[in-house]
Amino acid sequence: METVIRFEKVHKAFGDNRIYVDLDLEVRRGEVLTVIGGSGMGKSVMLKMLIRLLSIDAGRVLAFGQDVATMEGRALLNLRRRIAMLFQGAALFDSLSVAQNIRYPLIEHGWGTRAEQDKRVAEVLDMVGMPGIEKLRPSELSGGMKKRVGLARSIAVQPEVILYDEPTTGLDPLNVRRINGLILRLKEQLGVTSVVVTHDMDSCFTVTDRLAFLYDKKMSFVGTLEQARAAEFPALQEFIQGGRGTLSDDDVARLGEEGVNQ
Amino acid sequence: MNKALGLLSHVGGVATLTIRTFRQMVRVEAALLVEQMDHAGIGSWSIAVLTALFTGAVMAIQFAVGLEPYGASLYTGKLVSLAMFRELGPTLTAVLVGGRVGAGFTAEIGSMNVTEQVDAISALGADPVQKLVVPRVLACVIMLPLLTILADFVGCFGGMLITMQEVGITPRFFVEQVIDTIEIPDLFHGLAKSVFFGYFIAIIGCYVGLNTRGGTEGVGRSTTNTVVAISITVLVSNFMLTKLFLAI
Repeated sequence: METVIRFEKVHKAFGDNRIYVDLDLEVRRGEVLTVIGGSGMGKSVMLKMLIRLLSIDAGRVLAFGQDVATMEGRALLNLRRRIAMLFQGAALFDSLSVAQNIRYPLIEHGWGTRAEQDKRVAEVLDMVGMPGIEKLRPSELSGGMKKRVGLARSIAVQPEVILYDEPTTGLDPLNVRRINGLILRLKEQLGVTSVVVTHDMDSCFTVTDRLAFLYDKKMSFVGTLEQARAAEFPALQEFIQGGRGTLSDDDVARLGEEGVNQ
Repeated sequence: MNKALGLLSHVGGVATLTIRTFRQMVRVEAALLVEQMDHAGIGSWSIAVLTALFTGAVMAIQFAVGLEPYGASLYTGKLVSLAMFRELGPTLTAVLVGGRVGAGFTAEIGSMNVTEQVDAISALGADPVQKLVVPRVLACVIMLPLLTILADFVGCFGGMLITMQEVGITPRFFVEQVIDTIEIPDLFHGLAKSVFFGYFIAIIGCYVGLNTRGGTEGVGRSTTNTVVAISITVLVSNFMLTKLFLAI
């Protein structure tokens, strides 16, 4: 499978606090790669380095074969159209309505006319199972609704890769299932590549194709779920066992089908 | 030593933000600019008017009483107008409006920062400096001189009301004194200063907001820091700008 994102010997520190030392990681087209690891270890930092919201100290981050650090102007704009991010708290703009939030990237990336933008807003809201809420403000939405509107905003410009930062944290089980279903549906129906940062192991077991374990300032394990379960790596086993998956394979398949219809 | 280094770091940060702001200035979005002009300018007129009215009135009382033993109470209008146009109009307006507007900028941008909305602007293909900083800086640079003119005239009006009552002069006499006293350079100095003050208010408010960390507690801390930083910057720069303009 084609590699769309590659971290090569990446170093990152905030002052004396070293986050990454020799981070190597590949993300392949069309897969869901889940990154797990303890809180405060820098999982979100990795996502932000990927779209250059944060700079790296050494090494290289390649996206679609190009060095992210050298991108400027149009190239950087194009990168942020191809790679979208769903932030942990959804990061909806409080001063804008739902429609204006979703239209925001469409305007910035020069997507069609106003009428086409409105049509796209309605389309993506429908995709996330929330039609007709265009006029609401973020303050009128629940946590789960915010995440889904955030996801609608992320997919509005049809990105090839979506970065999910703790997509299910703080949500009730129903909304967790909805978000997991959406991740699977985007993968299966649109071929979207996903990088999911989480420590929700149920969610991880539900959506993952490959799993990366952040430990000791680098990706200490990268492999499939079966490989992860079989790995002789106590820290990884402890992490996995701590959030033992409770969903059967049938549950996972059904979630993909149900998607947003709940 | 650490505090000095920290201060230097902030000065460097503000300078860098200034350069980025000026680079983006030609691409300012009209709707955002109008919104900020309304917030910073129209929303602040009452503070500017109240402050100037009572400051002019208090000065008039003090001058009228203080000059009476020398038989010079009739010159109260000259002193009040000169003080308002040259110093008090621009400086008081900047300190008070700066506290309101600058703190508002920091609270709003700081809240956006800690909830990752500033990152989201970048991630969605826009530039936070262009969206957040440029309209605010331009709005303050445009609106503060207008508020200052308003404050100058309202301050003189307040002085006139008190002088009429305390000294017994006519409004016409007071206005003639003001016209005789105030020259174009006096007006220009005050307005030129207010342009700089407007820039300081906006750039400090935005810079502190963009560097806010630590959740809601951090937003509160940043907002307080902004009010202090703006007040000190306005007062210190007022001295330097006064020296500069008098030397020109």
